[in-house]
Formats: sequence, structure tokens, C-alpha cells
Amino acid sequence: MGNWATVREHERLESQLSIRTREIRHLVLTGLLAGLLLLPLLQVGNRGLTYFLHVMMMTFMYIAIASSWNIISGYAGYISFAHPVFFALGGYFTGALLVFIKLSPFLTAPIAGLLAALLGFGVGLITLRTRGPSFVIGTIALLLLARLLLDNWTWLGGSNGISLPLPNLPPHLFKLPFYYGLLFAAAGAVGLSYRIRHSRFGLGLRAIAQDEIRAEVAGIPTHVYKVLAFSLSAFFVAVAGALWGYQLSYLRPSAFLTVGMAADPLLMCLIGGRGTVAGPVLGAVIVVALNELMIALLGSTELNLSAIGLIMLLALLFFPGGIIGTLRERGRLPRWLDWD
Amino acid sequence: MSLTAFIQILLLGLALGGIYALMAIGLSLTFGVMRILNLAHGAFMILAAYLAFWLFVRYRLDPLLSIPFMMGTLFAIGIILYRILFSRLAGRADYTHLTILLTFSLALILEGLMGYLWTGIYRAANPPYAARSYSFGPWYIPAGQLYAALTSLILLSILWLILYRTRFGRAVRATMQNRIAAQIVGVDVNGVSMITFGLGLALAGASGSLLSFLFPFFPSRHWQWIAILLALVVFGGLGSLPGTVMGAFTLAVISAYATTLAGPTWSSALFYLALFLTLLVRPQGLLGKGEAP
Amino acid sequence: MALLRIEAIRAGYGHGPDILNGLSLELEPNRIYCVIGPNGAGKSTLLRVIMGLLRPRAGRVWFNKEDITGLRPDQIVARGISYVPQDRSLFPDMTVWENLLMGGYLMRDPRALSRRVEEILELFPVLRKHRSRRAGLLSGGEQQMLAIGRALILRPALLLLDEPSLGLAPLVVEQVFEIIRQLKAMSLTVLLVEQNVRKGLECADWGYVLDQGCLRFEGPAKAILEEPRLVVTYFGQRRGHP
Repeated sequence: MGNWATVREHERLESQLSIRTREIRHLVLTGLLAGLLLLPLLQVGNRGLTYFLHVMMMTFMYIAIASSWNIISGYAGYISFAHPVFFALGGYFTGALLVFIKLSPFLTAPIAGLLAALLGFGVGLITLRTRGPSFVIGTIALLLLARLLLDNWTWLGGSNGISLPLPNLPPHLFKLPFYYGLLFAAAGAVGLSYRIRHSRFGLGLRAIAQDEIRAEVAGIPTHVYKVLAFSLSAFFVAVAGALWGYQLSYLRPSAFLTVGMAADPLLMCLIGGRGTVAGPVLGAVIVVALNELMIALLGSTELNLSAIGLIMLLALLFFPGGIIGTLRERGRLPRWLDWD
Repeated sequence: MSLTAFIQILLLGLALGGIYALMAIGLSLTFGVMRILNLAHGAFMILAAYLAFWLFVRYRLDPLLSIPFMMGTLFAIGIILYRILFSRLAGRADYTHLTILLTFSLALILEGLMGYLWTGIYRAANPPYAARSYSFGPWYIPAGQLYAALTSLILLSILWLILYRTRFGRAVRATMQNRIAAQIVGVDVNGVSMITFGLGLALAGASGSLLSFLFPFFPSRHWQWIAILLALVVFGGLGSLPGTVMGAFTLAVISAYATTLAGPTWSSALFYLALFLTLLVRPQGLLGKGEAP
Repeated sequence: MALLRIEAIRAGYGHGPDILNGLSLELEPNRIYCVIGPNGAGKSTLLRVIMGLLRPRAGRVWFNKEDITGLRPDQIVARGISYVPQDRSLFPDMTVWENLLMGGYLMRDPRALSRRVEEILELFPVLRKHRSRRAGLLSGGEQQMLAIGRALILRPALLLLDEPSLGLAPLVVEQVFEIIRQLKAMSLTVLLVEQNVRKGLECADWGYVLDQGCLRFEGPAKAILEEPRLVVTYFGQRRGHP
């Protein structure tokens, strides 16, 4: 055990070490961010990075969606199938404004986000009054209802959808604003997720996920918290939808409102680790990479859906904590992945 | 609307109600007995519809006659699935949530397989009675719907007999009302759950056979079915079997009138509306009791 | 010749701490045993472990020389142990008659079962009056009678009772304990958990004092009752007095 002097010396060295680790972590983060920010500039000269930028952009979008979904379905433990609705709301709202009033989605995306949060608030008020599966059922109904509405809304193109005008940019620079826009959306979503996780609100949510009755008894305003979580989880999803729709330059219900899209954040969070900050990010990166790989090697068939289902099943049965959760359980989680 | 038309729509609505009741009862049973919300219920219905369809097209086996085979097959699948997937998870605090995710995964697996094997073309079996109609007085009813409704009634009656006149049925009802109490009087609740799960899938199988000639279907159609059935079950009261039946008839009749007035596109919207209204006004549903689910 | 033997049982819920810490005790047939102790001592947990509703982390449970550790509750019922939980655990939508019928689920002969249910109704006249009433509509005392009656259908050798006096008016408590006293005459062994120390020990032969999952004291029930220090030690002030 040694005497006090050596213990204090030990502590001083320890804190110096953790300062160093923190410095290293800051450096790595800044470097990563700088790299991500500067990467597209290579495209300006090179032109060969279009596919790569596209994949990165898609990854940012999924990071935004998965991290947001995680707030209600990971932290609070209430599975939502409604997130494609927020995504579509973002795309269609800003798309309509673009087509009819010529306002750029880059400006109107935050408004779409707020609208989505409002929708989440309202739906949450109705469906989160009870503790059981009514919420999940409500989100499924919302998804199908939204699909029905948009499929029949001729003013917005119905099931054929509408085309959006393209931004005024040379083709090889076309992706750049979307790249940055979605990068910021992703950063925003992860930032929100981080702040929530490290707050009393987040603690309350996780208490609800563990044992809601006990949380209520302990004085946590569960109804308020749940509705707030659902509402917050909608914002960046709508923003991502706005940007993605604009980038896609067309809006179609079948591209935005399928149950497959509802499964995406679920899959990503299951693989990465539900209820953690880094999990959705990790999951998004892995799923996008795997998906591109699978399509490149095997092509795209209906069996992809079965593969997703099978992976989810196996993850649920054997690695319910996802990568982050399983690593943490075994004590092997590297510091740089532990953002909780 | 004339009285004749009013009664006509009522007739069609009731027939539809019987069919919806059969479709939904398996879902309700599974949730009531073991708190499993089977999101793959619709997918199994569509799977059975495909099987019935191919049996009809290849071997001329009438979909109504293939029901016993369908029920047997899906019963077996249910037992196996329960053993492999659900029984190992029983007793965990987040059981219902897990089963939601599990059955969702199952639904995706099934949908992918069906799409791969049989593509997304709209299918519908057309046995001779699918085009016929019976009329009596000023009213008519399509033969297919009549037969389907009668079949539903028969199967629901058999289920009622099992639940209220057999020892196994008593065990099922006891488990539904109080799982611990059932255990301490000697019911093997795990065994009961397993058989009930098989029963639930068997009922989905029978519904699928009916579906094959009543409604056009394709792999991803199951989402629309499961959404309607879930809304119906919540409306009637999660965990209440009589509630499910009542909910089925009520919503089917209302939707029949709505369809006549506003067209078929929005008929499913009615179910979603009923769902949200229920959650807003009376979350435990029509006949649900006590703790809102 | 012990009827029930518990050997070094350690048990807890989920990932939580041990509620029972290496508890051992033995029950002889034809006696009434009462377990008392402060809240959280593990009294209800003990009954749950015996009944198979909670799997112990260590230790064994022997009944009639058979190792019943880890068996399912329905298997344990079949071996002659019946349980009346704290919340009575009735079937709320079934009538009194149907609840009693369910008590005899393991009996295969329907006529013998009917006869047995009639016998139980003889024992509990208040139940006979309400035989077609839904269990959820009964009063607290009636529910307790029903729960005990249901547990007796199979003629168990050992009856586990978890706080039978809970939430009942004093007059009704008296009636319940009168029944419990009669049980001894039926060659039944009763293991009773009670917060109402006086009532529990008055009708018991032997008492166990449980605290923090360990057996602190055991002895003739009368002796424990008359030893006020024990009561004070484990209950603070004079608890359990009417």
C-alpha cells in the first residue's frame, strides 16, 4: 500500500496522464473534424471523389438519424417506427417551399426541424400516456398514415412525387453544400445526444428505460420526459430529410416512407449499441460500409431485407448491447469510443 | 342513403368484421397470454396466403380446403419459433420490447424471402366462388366473402370452445389473467405459452388462406395488415379477446360505411384514427380493464 | 424426519444484492411455523424460493427427502406445496367457484374435483354465499379466504402463507387466523410469514426471526412472544401489538 507521499505522487502522475489523454483526444477530434471539413476541397481539384463524397454524405445523414432515434428508442427505451415520417416531413416541407416560393432548403431546414419536433410533441402526448406497446403501435400507424396521405396528395405529386430544381452549381461541385450541411446535421445530432446523455434529463430517460414504475415513484415526470425525448428526436431527422431530398432532387413517398427506412436506425443502433452516444455513430458507419460492400459484391435484391432482419435477430439474441455495450461489459471499451 | 343500401353495407361490413376478427384474434391471444406483440403476424398471414395461392394454382387445391394444412404447418412453425427465440428470453423485464424487436426482425426476414422467391407481383387466387354472388331480396353478398365469414365464425367458435370448455383453455385463460397465480395452481405456463403461440400462428395461417382469394396481396402488404390489426386490437382492448372481436366488427362496419361515402383509399385511415382516438380518450380500449397497457 | 429442509440458501432479484444470506432451516410435519422480521428481511423471498418462483443463487431446498431446488412452481405444487402470495393472486375475472376449480387444475377427475370444491366451500361459508361472484369484486377478507381455500384444494402437505393479515380489518384477521389454527387439525404443515407478530406467534408452534436474510433466532412461538427484548430488537418499538 505504501505511505501517503507515494499515493499522492501516484495521483499526480495519474492526473497528468489523464490530461495528456484528454489532450490527445482533443487533438484527434480536431484533426478528424478538420479532415472531414477539408476533404471535399480535394474534389474541387480532383473530381474523382464524387462517389466517396456521396457515401460520406449518406453516412452523415444516417448518423444524424440514428443518433436522434437513439434519444427516444435508446435512452428512453421506447421503440419508434415513426422516424421516416419526420424525415419525409423535412423533405416535403422544404421541397414544397423550394418549388412554390423558391426558398432554399438550406434556409428552411431548421423550420422543418421545428415542425417535426412539434409533430413529435403532439403524437407523443397521445401515444406516450401509457407504459406499454401502445407507443410502438402508434408510430407504426403514423408511418402508414403518412404514407397514405402523401401517396394521395396530388398537390405534392402523390405517389409519383415531385422533382426539385437543382442548385446552381457545376456537377462535380454539386455534392459539396450537401456534404457540409449533412455533416453539421450529424454533428448537431451527436452533440444533442451527448448533452442529453450527460444531463439529468438523460439520466431520467434511462431510468424510465430500466424500470418506469420505479422511475415514477422516484418522482421523475415520466410523461413529460418521454414526450420531450420524442419531440427532440425529430429535429435533426427532419433537417437531414430536407437536405437529402434536395440532394436527391426528387421527393417520392416510396423513397421516404417505407418500413425499411424505419428499420435503418434500429439496425444501426442495435449493431453500434443502443443507449450510448457513440453506438449510433459506429452503427451508421458500419451499416453504410457493409451495405455498399454488399451491393458491390452481391447486387441488390429483396434478400437484402432478409439479411438486415437476420442481423438484427442475431444481434438481439447474442449481442443486445451492440458493439459498444458488449465491449463495455467485457471491460474492453477503448477510451476513444467511450463518449458516455 | 336508402334503408336498402344501409342494410347492404351493414351486411358487407359484418362479413368483413368476421374476417378481421379471425385475423386479429391470434395477435390478441399471443399478447394476452405471454405479452408478445407479434409484429410478424401479418407477414405470416401473407406467407400462408402465398402457400394457399400456390397450392391452388399448382394443385387445384381450394384455399378453403387448404386451411387445415395451413393451420397445422403454421402451428408447428410457431412451436419451433417459440422454443428457439422466445422461451430463452422469458422473465426478462424488457420482455415485451424485446419481442417487438424480435418479431420485427422476423417480419423483415419473411418479407425479403417472399419477395425474393415470388417477386412483388400482385397475387390473388381465384377459385370459382370468388366471382359469384348470392342474393336474397334486394341484397347480395359475394360468395367468397360469405364463405370466408362463415369459416371465420366456425374457427372462432372452435377457439371459444377450446378456451371455455377444455382444461387447456382454462389454463390459457388463467395465464392471461394472472401468470403467477396460474403457476402456483399447477399450470406449466411456459408450455401453455408455447402452444398458444403456435395457436396464434395457426390462426394467422387460416386467415392467410382466406386472404388469398379475398384481397390481392404481395410481400410488403403485410405492413398494412399488421397496422390495421394492431389498431383494431388496441381499440378493442389489448389483452381482451372479446374486445378484439367486438373491435373487429365495429371498425369493419364503420369502415364499410366510410368506404361507401369516401372511397376505398382511406378505409385504413379509419383504423389509425380509431387508434389515436382510443389512446386519447380511453387508452385501455373498449373492453380492456385496469392498467392501461 | 424433516418435511422441508432449506440448506444455505442465497437468493436475490436480478443483478441485485443477496436478500437471503445462507439461510438454513427445517420444518417438521404437522406444525405451524411463523417467520417474523423487519421489512426487507427476506421473508417473502424465502417463500418464493421454496415455491420455485425465484431460483436461488446457492443452496438447496429439500422436500420429503427430494431435492426440489430449481423446479418450476407447477412441479412443486404437484409435489404437495401450496402458496398463498401476499397479493392473494386470484383470477379476477373468474368466479369464486372457478377460482377454486383452478386450484384443482392438477386433478384429472372432474367429479372428484367438484366434490373437493364443495368440501372447501363447507369450510368457508362466506365463500359458499358468493360462489358465483367474480373474484375481483370480493372484499379483502373474502379474497383471502378464497386464496387459502384455493390453495387447499389439492390437500397439500405444506402450505405457505405470505402475510395473510395484510390490509385486513381486525375482525377479519381474527377469522383468518381461526382458519389457520384449524389447518393444523387437517394434518397440514403451515409456514406463515407475518408482520402482525402477535397474531402470528399466538397461533404458531415455532417461530423464526429473520433479519437481513439470516436467521437470528428460533424457538417456541410462545417464548418469542414473551421475550419482549426480541421484539424490540427487531422491530424497534412495540410493533405487532393490536
